[in-house]
Amino acid sequence: MASRVKFENSCEVGVFARLTNAYCLVPAEASESFYSVLDAELAGTVPVVRSSIAGTRIVGRLCVGNKRGLLLPHTATDQEIQHLRNSLPDEVVVKCVDERLSALGNCIACNDYVALTHPDLDKETEEVISDVLGVEVFRQTIAGNILVGSYCTFTNKGGLVHPQTSVEDLDELSTLLQVPLVAGTVNRGSDVISAGIAVNDWTAFCGSDTTATEVSVVESVFRLRDPRPGALGSDVKSSMVQDLFKS
Amino acid sequence: MVQYNFKKITVVPPGKDFIDIILSRTQRQTPTVVHKGYAISRIRQFYMRKVRYSQQNFYEKLSTIIDEFPRLDDIHPFYGDLLHVLYNKDHYKLALGQINTARNIIAKISKDYLRLLKYGDSLYRCKCLKVAALGRMCTVVKRISPSLAYLEQIRQHMARLPSIDPNTRTVLICGYPNVGKSSFMNKVTRADVDVQPYAFTTKSLFVGHTDYKYLRYQVIDTPGILDRPFEDRNIIEMCSITALAHLRAAVLFFLDISGSCGYSIAQQAALFHSIKSLFMNKPLVIVCNKTDLQPLEGLSEDDMKLVMDMKAEAMKTITQAGDPNEEGVLLTMSTLTDDGVMAVKNAACERLLEQRVDVKMKSKKMVDCLNRFHVAVPKPRDNKERPICIPPAVLEARANAAAKEKKKLEKDFEQENGGAGVYSTSLKKHYILANDEWKEDILPEILDGHNVADFLDPDILERCEELEREEGLRLEEQAAQDAFEIDGHELTEEQKEILSQIRKKKALLIQEHRMKKRTAESRPIVPRKFDKDRKFTTKRMGRQLSSMGVDPSAAIARSKSRGRKRERSLSRAAADGDDMEVDGQQSNKKLRLRSRSRSKSRAPEEVIPGEGFKDSEQKKKAIKKAKDATRNRNKEARRGEADRVIPTLKPKHLFSGKRTLGKTSRR
Repeated sequence: MASRVKFENSCEVGVFARLTNAYCLVPAEASESFYSVLDAELAGTVPVVRSSIAGTRIVGRLCVGNKRGLLLPHTATDQEIQHLRNSLPDEVVVKCVDERLSALGNCIACNDYVALTHPDLDKETEEVISDVLGVEVFRQTIAGNILVGSYCTFTNKGGLVHPQTSVEDLDELSTLLQVPLVAGTVNRGSDVISAGIAVNDWTAFCGSDTTATEVSVVESVFRLRDPRPGALGSDVKSSMVQDLFKS
Repeated sequence: MVQYNFKKITVVPPGKDFIDIILSRTQRQTPTVVHKGYAISRIRQFYMRKVRYSQQNFYEKLSTIIDEFPRLDDIHPFYGDLLHVLYNKDHYKLALGQINTARNIIAKISKDYLRLLKYGDSLYRCKCLKVAALGRMCTVVKRISPSLAYLEQIRQHMARLPSIDPNTRTVLICGYPNVGKSSFMNKVTRADVDVQPYAFTTKSLFVGHTDYKYLRYQVIDTPGILDRPFEDRNIIEMCSITALAHLRAAVLFFLDISGSCGYSIAQQAALFHSIKSLFMNKPLVIVCNKTDLQPLEGLSEDDMKLVMDMKAEAMKTITQAGDPNEEGVLLTMSTLTDDGVMAVKNAACERLLEQRVDVKMKSKKMVDCLNRFHVAVPKPRDNKERPICIPPAVLEARANAAAKEKKKLEKDFEQENGGAGVYSTSLKKHYILANDEWKEDILPEILDGHNVADFLDPDILERCEELEREEGLRLEEQAAQDAFEIDGHELTEEQKEILSQIRKKKALLIQEHRMKKRTAESRPIVPRKFDKDRKFTTKRMGRQLSSMGVDPSAAIARSKSRGRKRERSLSRAAADGDDMEVDGQQSNKKLRLRSRSRSKSRAPEEVIPGEGFKDSEQKKKAIKKAKDATRNRNKEARRGEADRVIPTLKPKHLFSGKRTLGKTSRR
């Protein structure tokens, strides 16, 4: 199920939340309603943890993780790390990465098996990613953008990438990630996919600007509603044609 | 994209008001006082300004009218024709043309009179010219006042036109009067169209909106059309015809098969065939309405044949689009019982969507967007299994989602405990720890100058145990050693002697050190490097001086008192002088200096000329300037004497006494 939410009048929910199959991070000192929406939807199945990272609220952009671990930037304080260790289950390894590019969420995109990273990431960071998150790491760009973490988001079921990704790139990426991919937008045409959506294997939260067509694309590609393999239904297709060109 | 919004056209004032507006503005915005005695150029300029100003205003006002009214040739042909039907294109163009002519005439009048005013030789003549100029301009406007009134009426009518977007997805409802077009409209949209049991209830186009497959559709309800020659149709019918002719829409042709509208099926079929040219290239659905009165199956054979003819005609429109399926061409419904209403809407929307998507898929722009429809399916690259991981708790929760009662959320807690800004939740509430009591434990950030986090260790308990074990071992060893020491406690006499000597020496050293360190003594009067043994004391100096036959008391006193307080009296200077000149000879160098600097007899505020100033006046000025320049400004904006002061805001004597009924000023 995909739901539309807003974080304090901002539709960029992926910036303010990090959702994985084992936990969900939301900023501390934020409005209770955003937390409550996520908490109600996840309904105690996974912990929803409130924490700042490096004193900021943009937790989704600063950290990256999957069900096995959570990587934090070097700017995260000792107290925040301790708080996260206390709040997350023991199976989730919390680790700090000494990486110059501290917005890990913008530089890394991952599911439980594969990760795409920024081409300029350190060798050591790459090792840490594969050790802590237990994933294969590929250095990639998405439609010419090096910020792979911002321009794509994928789960174990499917993925959404930058709208200008070419068909060949899509096929290549999909083979790398081993999940079906679709080029699309969120938040009424925003190409910064992962800023506008927080998604895991069974639920998704989109920014409230997201149109019905976009929601239906999200639901079909992440297979949130039905178990059929990621494909766009014909009804989605025709409404997409209408949405894509207004004339 | 062009938006058709005729609601923003500014009001067109009637001719009389128009003149009033311009003249009063000229009166307000230009100078009003002129005098005979002024230079003639000034007088001329005064009147020329008036004339030019009024002309400019007329020009602006008329230009806004011309610009804001839509030009029928430039707007979408649907609106062009609709406006022509409603207001008659010729009239409309004539009115706007007249306004344009008036604008030009006024410009010409102004130009002529400005030229004449250049030769005006007296105030009176200039004034006459101005009056004549303005008078002629007003006459021109007065002459076009019927056009202005007409345009104002059109403006008011246009503002009430429905905002139809000619380019969007549109469903158009048409048919004979009273066949149930408006009822259908009310069913599928939220437009509240008037429905009455007589013909021509709907007299103009109405717009509503409906949703189908994530998209919004515009539904247009048209007035009924009668089957008669084109020239005989009235304005109301022509509205429908215009919409049918120009909008690329799905057309719903309504058929009243019960005949309760007063027209037989044959008549309706005749209408269909006479306007079928308007349905070309449009998805057409024939809707048989009022099936609650007369089901389609129960029609007589002749009527059935007519209906089938129409269906065949409608199918023709489809085959051109290249879609041979027969569904959704002839549908039955009853707006009274809601039978088939949604089916009709869905069929129309679906067919329109199909057609539009087809057109768009063929367009060139489609190539850029092809990737958006491409679902990249992965080719397997290894044999690794990558299962999805949804925790069983989620599936469980989903299975009995309905049964579970609503969880109390953080938002509810906030609401109960004082609302946002007051309530603050504990971040430690959901900690996952071995012992729940540890949740609220306080962990210091910094301990003994060290960052505690640097020493945190996941195996801290093991380490602690290890340490404790070590500590135990050490304690045992200590105990063993202590036992040993007690044995060797006795010392020999010799050793005791040596020990006492060591202690004595130690004590002496300490004492000496303390002597040196004593604060009062340690003050270096003679620099330490000349006084290594600290023998130059005051006492010694006294002794030496007295041995030399000099009275040492003053010297001792001076060495003891370090500084001296400031004093007012001048007497000490003399005393000082005495002291300094030990030989007793009076040196009045200092005194002389002072006498030269300033005479004591002068008043302090008196200024002695000198230092490059001519006289004391000039110097005073310079001093004052210097003072002013260096004075701190009142930057803090404190209250000063220059500020307005109201000593008492409400003086008692003015505000006390009778108030309710009588006067406040009398008591």
